[in-house]
This record gives sequence, C-alpha cells and structure tokens, in this order.
Amino acid sequence: MPAGIKPLEKFLKKQTSALSRAGGFGDKVGSGGPRRRTSVSRVLPFFRDLSPESAQPPREVFSPDAEETPSWHPGPVSGAPAAASSSSSSRSDSRSPSLSSDEQSALEGSLETPTTATAAWGEAPLAPDTPENLVLALLDSVTASKRQSGSCAEILLDDFMLTHPIFLSADKLQQVLLKEFRADRKSREGCRGFDSADRKQAVLSVAFRYLKMYRHLLQDEGEKSHTFPKELCACVVQDLARYPELVEEVLKLQRWTEILQDQALEESDSKKPVRPLFRHFRRVDACLQPREAFRGSDEIFCRVYTPDHSYVTIRSRLSSSVQEILALVSEKLQYSEEQEGQQGAMVLVAVTSSGEKAVFRPSEDSVFTTLGVNTHLFACEPERLGALVPLPEEIHWSPGDSRLHDMSAEEVANQLLAFDWELFSCVHEVEFVRYVFRGEEARWRPLNLELVLQRCSEVQHWVGTEILQCQSLPKRGQLLRKFIKIAALCKQNQDLLSFLSVVLGLNNPALSRLRQTWEGLPSKFKKQFQQLESISDPSRNHKSYRDLLSSLRPPIIPFTPLLLKDLTFLHESSKTFHGPLVNFEKMHKVAEMVRTIRRYRSSPPNLDTDSTPSYLQTKAFVRQLQVIDNQNLLFNMSYKLEPKDT
Amino acid sequence: MPEQSNDYRVVVFGAAGVGKSSLVLRFVRGTFRETYIPTVEDTYRQVISCDKNICTLQITDTTGSHQFPAMQRLSMSKGHAFILVYSVSSKQSMEELQPIYEQICQIKGDIQNIPIMLVGNKCDETQREVEASVGESLASKWKCSFMETSAKMNYNVQELFQELLNLEKRRTVSLQLDGKKSKQLKKKDRPKGKCSLM
Repeated sequence: MPAGIKPLEKFLKKQTSALSRAGGFGDKVGSGGPRRRTSVSRVLPFFRDLSPESAQPPREVFSPDAEETPSWHPGPVSGAPAAASSSSSSRSDSRSPSLSSDEQSALEGSLETPTTATAAWGEAPLAPDTPENLVLALLDSVTASKRQSGSCAEILLDDFMLTHPIFLSADKLQQVLLKEFRADRKSREGCRGFDSADRKQAVLSVAFRYLKMYRHLLQDEGEKSHTFPKELCACVVQDLARYPELVEEVLKLQRWTEILQDQALEESDSKKPVRPLFRHFRRVDACLQPREAFRGSDEIFCRVYTPDHSYVTIRSRLSSSVQEILALVSEKLQYSEEQEGQQGAMVLVAVTSSGEKAVFRPSEDSVFTTLGVNTHLFACEPERLGALVPLPEEIHWSPGDSRLHDMSAEEVANQLLAFDWELFSCVHEVEFVRYVFRGEEARWRPLNLELVLQRCSEVQHWVGTEILQCQSLPKRGQLLRKFIKIAALCKQNQDLLSFLSVVLGLNNPALSRLRQTWEGLPSKFKKQFQQLESISDPSRNHKSYRDLLSSLRPPIIPFTPLLLKDLTFLHESSKTFHGPLVNFEKMHKVAEMVRTIRRYRSSPPNLDTDSTPSYLQTKAFVRQLQVIDNQNLLFNMSYKLEPKDT
Repeated sequence: MPEQSNDYRVVVFGAAGVGKSSLVLRFVRGTFRETYIPTVEDTYRQVISCDKNICTLQITDTTGSHQFPAMQRLSMSKGHAFILVYSVSSKQSMEELQPIYEQICQIKGDIQNIPIMLVGNKCDETQREVEASVGESLASKWKCSFMETSAKMNYNVQELFQELLNLEKRRTVSLQLDGKKSKQLKKKDRPKGKCSLM
C-alpha cells in the first residue's frame, strides 16, 4: 500500500494556486500561519467526455418549477443537442489537451480548430467580442433560430446562460436586454431576414431563460429581486398595441415578478427555520428529511470559540461576512465598542483539528461551508493567534465499538448513494462555474458544492476513524472487509463519490501501515481491493477512472474533486479575456463540462425506501458521521495498534 | 467526545428571558446589557484552582426555548452543578423549572451530592410575582439551596457562584476573590484546602 503522501493528494497529483481562495490567508496578520488547507479539489487536465449521448434530452435536476415550458422544445430538438454533443465527442481528440499533467496522454490531440467547432454550432462560432456584443450576437442567433428549426442557438444560449456571470454582471445583462427590447431592430445588413417582432421574442426568450436559471440568486437580492421582470413587463405592455401576440409574455413576466417578490418576502421573514449545518445543531429528525439546497440567505447556528475554548453560539446567514460574524460574537460577549477599540479588532480564524490556522479577511463572506470537517471558528485578538490550539475533542479520542458491525454493507452503500445523490443534486449548475471562476462579485458562493467536497473528506476520514478506533485485530479485519465491500457496492451503484472516497480512505497512510490487519485479509478481498484501488490510479491523467466513467450511463455521481480539478485546469489553460474581448470558445468549453454534469444527473437513481427502525438507523448513521480528521491523531491511534518498528 | 477530566462544569437552566445570560456574563465579564439576545448555548471557561491543583470552571448558559433537547440532555449528564433560574417577576418561569429539575433527577439518579441552586433573579423588579418565601419553600422541597439575585444591580451574583462551589462535597472547589470582595463572603469550610479563582 502506498504510504507517505496523503492519498487524495497523490490521487489528484498536482496542486495549483488557483484553488485557494483569492488572496490567501495568514500573511496579513503577521503570524504567517499556513494557508488554509484548501478544499480538496486540485487541478488536472479537464475531463474528456466520451460517453455517448443518451436518448433523453438533458433535464436540469436543479431547476425551479417554472410555470412556462422551457424555451427550447424537447421534442424535435432533442436530437439536435444530442447530435451536437456526440459530434463533439466524436471529435473528442480535438478537445483541449491535458497540459499540466507530466504524462501527456497520447490520445489527447490537438487544440480544437474553428472548423470542428463550426460543426457543433452549425454556423460560425462566436468570435471573441465584448460582453455587450456577445449579448447581441446571442440575440441574433436566437432570433434566427425562431425562423428556422434547428437548435444551434440552444447550445449558444446554454453556453451563455451558464457562463455569462464570468464576464457580464447581472445588472449589465439586464440593462442590455431591456435596451434591446425597447429598440426596434429590423434585420441588419447581411443577416437573415427577421423583423422586430422576432427580435423582441428573442429578447424575451433569453430573459425567461435567465430568470429560470438565476431565480434563486435573484431572490436573494431582496427588494431589488423583481425589478427586472417588472421593468421588462412594463416595456412589453407598452408594445402590446403593435405586438398583441406578446400578451402571453406579459402574463409570464407578471408571474415571474410575483414569484421573485414572494420569495424575497419569505426570505426576510425571520420565522424561517434555522437550518442545521454544524454537527452540534443537527437533529435526527431533520437529517432524515431529504436534503435541500442551501442558500446564502439561509440562517444557521455556529459556535465561535475564544482562545480559552469558551464559545458562544451565534445565529447567522450563511452568506454573512466575517465582519458581521465578529460583530455578532462581540455582542454576545458583551464587548463594548470602547473595549474593542482598545484591544484592536478581533479576527476570525479557522483552526483545523490538527492545529493549522487560517485567518479570514473581514470582507470575506460565506465562510461556513469552506471549513474542514472538524475545523472550528475562533475569534481572538491578533496577538493571540499563536496561542490558538485545537479543541480537546479534536486531539483526544476514546476507543469504542463501531456501529458498523450491526449494519450490512449493502444498507450502508445504499444510504451513501441516497445521501450523495441528494447532496449532488443540491448543487446548482452555476455553482460549478462559480467555484472555478471566483470573480470580484462576491454576491454568492458555491455553498452546496463546497458541502459536497466536505462530504468527500468526511467519508475518507470516516474509514480511517472506524478502523483505527477498533482495538481488536479480528474485528478490524472485519471492518476492513466491510469497507472493501462497501466500496465495491458504491462503484456498482455508480456512486463514484463515495466509491473513491472510501478507496482513498483505505489508503490513508495511518491505515495502510497496519501490516497485520491487511495481511489478515483473505486473498479474495486483497484482490478485490487491488482492482478497486486501480481505479484511483492517477497515471495517464486518471485514465482508469475516466475509462470507468465513460462506460457508465446516468445516473452517475462523479468524483467531484476531480471534476473541479478539470474545470480549474480548463480555466487556467486559456485566457478568459483577450483585452476587452471575451474568449467565448473557452466559455463554450466550460459549458460543455457543465452539460456533462447535467447528463450525469439526468435521471434519478433507484433508491429503495423503507421505514423499518434498522433502515432509519443506518440512514441516520450515514448522515451524521463522526470522524477524526486530525491526521496526527490517526497516526497515533495507528501506532498504538501496531507500534512502529524500531 | 472527551471532556477534560479536571473541568468543573456548572450548567444554568431556566425559562427564556429570566436572566441566565445576564447572570453568567455579569459573573464572567462584570458587564450587563439591557438588550435581549436569545441564547442557543454558550460556555465560558475560567481557570480556578481546586484541591491544590488547577482546574477549569466551565459555565454553560443554555437556551430557554426547547429547540435542542438533545443538547440539553447532554449538558445535564455532563454537568457537575446546576443553577436553576427563574424571574421573581414571573410565576410561570418558576413553574417551568419543575420539568427541568425532574429531568436532572432522572438523568443523574441520585442528586444528593449534586450542588443545585435555585435562583430567583431580577429581584430588583418592583412588579413581583414570586415572594422569596415561595422560592425558599420550593428549594427545601427540592432539597437544594436558594438565593435571590439581580444581575442588573450586580447583587448576589458572585455569591451565587461562590455558594454553589461551596456546596460541592466531592472535591474542593471554590473561588478566591480579591481582597475587597472577600470581606463580604462568609468563609465557610476554611479548614479544608481551598481552591481559588486566579
């Protein structure tokens, strides 16, 4: 078994700087604490999608129940996006190569050429252009497609919708759309004939698509949330005399205005229940409910500690800034403003279970979901940074009997699948884009995606925790066998998130050094583990994993850290802007990756439900794992079980 | 989760708004605030010495609502001493202590050796609903100690915690306050080795 470097890092090989949050930590406050342990994603060449298109049209799993039909029609058009994608997969060798890996895969070929890109779009691809011109080009394309069937515009529209926050603020987009609606555009020189009515319909199509996709983010805007549909509605009403056919759109816009307004009101209603996030505030009944996506406006409880390990529990929005959090803590501790001034402002610090520290900047927000599994928030004066030590519960442990002995591998794997599916489904498509393209606009963060990554880490450490807590050698062997079986079942369930997390967990160096425990494995299990482990082989750009992934049909839960690594590589390997012009080909590639994720989620898995006590117990157990993620402690536990050879 | 074995854990219970946080903060930080911020659970730690060793006084301020029954049960089972607070201006708040007391008894089994203090807070309030004698009689029914306090006026707050620690017979814990205040305290149990708040 490999030892030495952490399994996940070995798996993901290269690290890039892009993945730590912009700015890094620790340096500002002088003590120079180490950078926050970045979330587990790292960069690798982006994933090449080899999966043949499924027959179904892609459906967004995370989509609001919009009243109107999607702006593209599943029927005749379903062939087209499929065709486009499979044509792109057939020219898979022309997608961008793996550049960062030191092992160039022979299969990865040359850069995408304009001619092949044309094949995907059916017309000339969008050349680099200013953000505003891109909107116009999009509108032209959508207008043209209303005249003729064919969904070339659909891909462009999808590309644009998924990626526009990268290069165009919401305000600006809304402005341009309103302006374009008001303008009476006739067909321009050289364009196919279209008239004002078509153009206006195109603006509305794009607007509806935008509302549908960004609904939840708009809702978080509070008062401003519904101004866009409202204004647009007013414009359409003004034109009703000339374009009476637009009356339906007026109704739709009114509906949207209501939806956004109502939701915004609901958000501000303080009676909204506080959602459980951190483990102290979890309730069994809540954890048995299907998981709902977290929003920035959701409130949670969180403990914030002081250097002596006193703590206060604050109630805060997920999206709160560090400044706001510190204000809440101050208030609780009854620090007067004068005292604060004297002491110097407090700082907020994340302390991992092994004692690593990362200081937040006051302007940062949405920090709660970025914490490691057993990382805690501390508030202290800057001078006391060096005195911060992890909580006792993170550096001590007591042996206990695993509850896993009473659960079957099948039950556990099924519950892992159910939970992973819920967690993965909660991630909005734009979160994937957002995770990688962290712009200046800190309006919202990929919270649910961060929680998926946290879960990954949690499952990995769970494996080690269970086995290393087990004092008896034969029982440890049993647990080992059970985990190998669980991993195999996860793979069978196409839950690659838990599959690889368990495999990587089994490769934790504190575990893999337990020679006696591993030697006690029957050869059948050893072989099985070797096979499973081989999927985690990072060589040749994770060929084993990618081959497996490409052989699967939805529903698939991918191993998300690798997916993000690919996205990040894509981001790093080409520029977003050439001067003022947006590199839309890059946007298209990003969107392609998101469409891949969409395909994975395009059909739900088969989940049995039950309500027997044992079923519910297993379910609650899987959803409330208690793990040790302090690697030093895991090593100590390991040495106690099998002392180091001296 | 492992707790430090030399912690001395005091837990404060009571209905919402009776002044638990005010009492704790008055004791820990010496401050008082009029604004009401509902507590979920806060814990304050202070080094004290005990049996000629150092240990930590850990005071847990709990929620007055019933949001987290599991958290409540956990703090009951881990606690060494308990402060049950009501407000003298609310008869109902005293009644709400009954189920809490019962739950402590249930979880602890034998409460004979467990220091419990019944506290009537807000004794500065003019609109009283509960007379001191009523508090005394409840305390004698429960076989625990009783005190009236005012966090606002800083009346009897230090004494409350001092007395509570004095009740602890299983080990010797107490607060040694600075010269000025110690005059106000009765020095009981002087012959026993004393623990002091540093």
